[in-house]
Amino acid sequence: MGGACSRKRDQQANDANINRGVSGRYTKSGSSKWLGGSFSRASMDSSQGKQRCPTLMDLCIYKIREDINKYGTFSMLPRDITQQIFDDLVCSQCLTDTLLEAFRDCALQDLNLGEYPGVDDSWLDVVSSQGSSLLSLDLSGSDVTDSGITYLKDCKSLQALNLNYCDQISDKGLEQVYGLSNLTTLSFKRNSSITAKGISSLSGLIKMVKLDMERCPRIHGGLAHLKGLEKLEMLNVNCCNCITDADMKAISGLTRLKSLQIASSKVTDNGVVFLRDLKNLSLLNMEACPVTAACLESLSGKFLGALQYLNISRCDLKDNGCENFSKMQSLKVLNLGFNDISGAILVHLKGLINLESLNLDSCRIKDEGILYLAGLTRLKFLELSDTEVGSSALRHLSGLVNLENLNLSFTVVTDGGLRKLSGLSSLKSLNLDARQITDAGIAALTSLTGLMHLDLFGARITDSGTNYLRAFKKLRSLEICGGGLTDAGVKNIKDLTSLTLLNLSQNSLLTDKSLESISGLTQLVSLNMSNSRVTSAGLRHLKSLKHLKSLTLESCKVTANDIKLLQSTDLPQLVNFRPE
Amino acid sequence: MKKEDTVMLISAEGFEFVIDKKAAMVSQTIRNMLTSPGGFSETEHGKVTFPEISTTILEKICQYFYWSLQYASGKETEFHIEPELTLELMMAANYLHT
Repeated sequence: MGGACSRKRDQQANDANINRGVSGRYTKSGSSKWLGGSFSRASMDSSQGKQRCPTLMDLCIYKIREDINKYGTFSMLPRDITQQIFDDLVCSQCLTDTLLEAFRDCALQDLNLGEYPGVDDSWLDVVSSQGSSLLSLDLSGSDVTDSGITYLKDCKSLQALNLNYCDQISDKGLEQVYGLSNLTTLSFKRNSSITAKGISSLSGLIKMVKLDMERCPRIHGGLAHLKGLEKLEMLNVNCCNCITDADMKAISGLTRLKSLQIASSKVTDNGVVFLRDLKNLSLLNMEACPVTAACLESLSGKFLGALQYLNISRCDLKDNGCENFSKMQSLKVLNLGFNDISGAILVHLKGLINLESLNLDSCRIKDEGILYLAGLTRLKFLELSDTEVGSSALRHLSGLVNLENLNLSFTVVTDGGLRKLSGLSSLKSLNLDARQITDAGIAALTSLTGLMHLDLFGARITDSGTNYLRAFKKLRSLEICGGGLTDAGVKNIKDLTSLTLLNLSQNSLLTDKSLESISGLTQLVSLNMSNSRVTSAGLRHLKSLKHLKSLTLESCKVTANDIKLLQSTDLPQLVNFRPE
Repeated sequence: MKKEDTVMLISAEGFEFVIDKKAAMVSQTIRNMLTSPGGFSETEHGKVTFPEISTTILEKICQYFYWSLQYASGKETEFHIEPELTLELMMAANYLHT
């Protein structure tokens, strides 16, 4: 009980982030990234079929929301019930500063007000009236200032405090946190006021387990005050470009650390040496740090025997020194993208049999070396985008039967090589965004019936190629934007009813007839048909797409008003559309 | 209706509601009482007493049980709750895990 909506108490970097590492680069599909959360929710709804019967509790909560103005206080209710009423009001965005008064002295445990509109210092009085019952408080994105934080001194039991994006909080605000000795989680991302002085106020919070200071550009020298936080397991100073080697020295004794994120800092090889004693370190993110392969010595199993996740992309790695990778036996996730390394280093990875994810995006990899990946049979995720890997390398991947996600975009792989992938029955996501891929390539892949995501953005797919797509009944996302499709081809995908994302932009021959074929794809959340001959008259075919949240029809004979009309009459769910 | 297919729910004031066992089982709490091995002594006779639930509220709850069965069978009507009952009903719903 407690978590409002889908909010989570802690919002630390997750494995997916590490896996992807550099995903933001693909702007063409970037537009759909923000829909990430809604996709999973949409798919959940559909899997449940019809709506679940509301419980009596649900019905009572709705009723209270309806009559909320009639309630002066909820303090006579048991706490767990009040919590549900509170969470419902937050979730439905019905809570106001006036209504908040009814929750005074309710002994609530969780106040998840993150990103809630209108939260400012005036809310903190009722917040603090929860007293020692309050365990977690999320004020992220609010207008709360230093003086608002002074109210929290009575909330002695507070374990988790989230002040992300609260740009009116400074060192003075952190001073008020000083007495909250039960804090285990504290987060104040993107704060440009807080300095080392503010962090010195945290030195006595010895129960601290997770500390997140991402994007705080002025905290240089502050990590020295964390020396006594011996229970600290997670520290995030990503994108704090003031962090230097000296700061690494300051945390070298925090041996409980499991996760350390120092991406885009000034830490060099000399700083990494100070991390040698962090025996429990499982995750290290050094993306875009000025480190070279020389730092790998400090990270090898001799020192960091528990290291499972390493992001060392966009650094200054060269081939020389990469032999130390062979001593990182515990690695599960390795991101080496955007380094000046060649396929010659792959020989050092061949013994890393625990590897599940490998990212070599934009490295100087050719076919040589790929054979050393053949034995990494636990691999689930392999990113080879923007490398010079070609067809002859693919035979070495044919035995990676656990592979779920393979990216071969902008490689030199051709149709002839793709049949080597036909046995990869675990594949769920395949990116073949490369100009030389044609219909023949797809024909070789029809055995991959588990595919859920297929990106053929720039591939030269024609109508005859779309016949083969019928094999991929589980497809959730599909992009074919090579310009070769006509309405006849789109007809072939009308039975792919699991699709939630469809991008058929740049196919300039498509007309309203294609929209008609698409009208049965009722799970669609995002549709892009830009640069086609679609007209406003065709929009009526989209009325059945009740889950659609994003519709992009740039450079079509459709105006913003046409779409707005459709939105108001039939598609209230639509939140993002172009032209706008 | 066979006796074993029904249960008797007794309110704080001693008012008796005889309803289908199937309806009563909408409540997770009652379901546990009726199905747990060994059982609760009072449920062996198909009677459950709720000393903290008033007659008005228990009646409303029985209505909900039947409404819920209808809803599950596809008849999605609205369930009306009188504003003055909401809080008390909510506490009972919480107890009955309904």
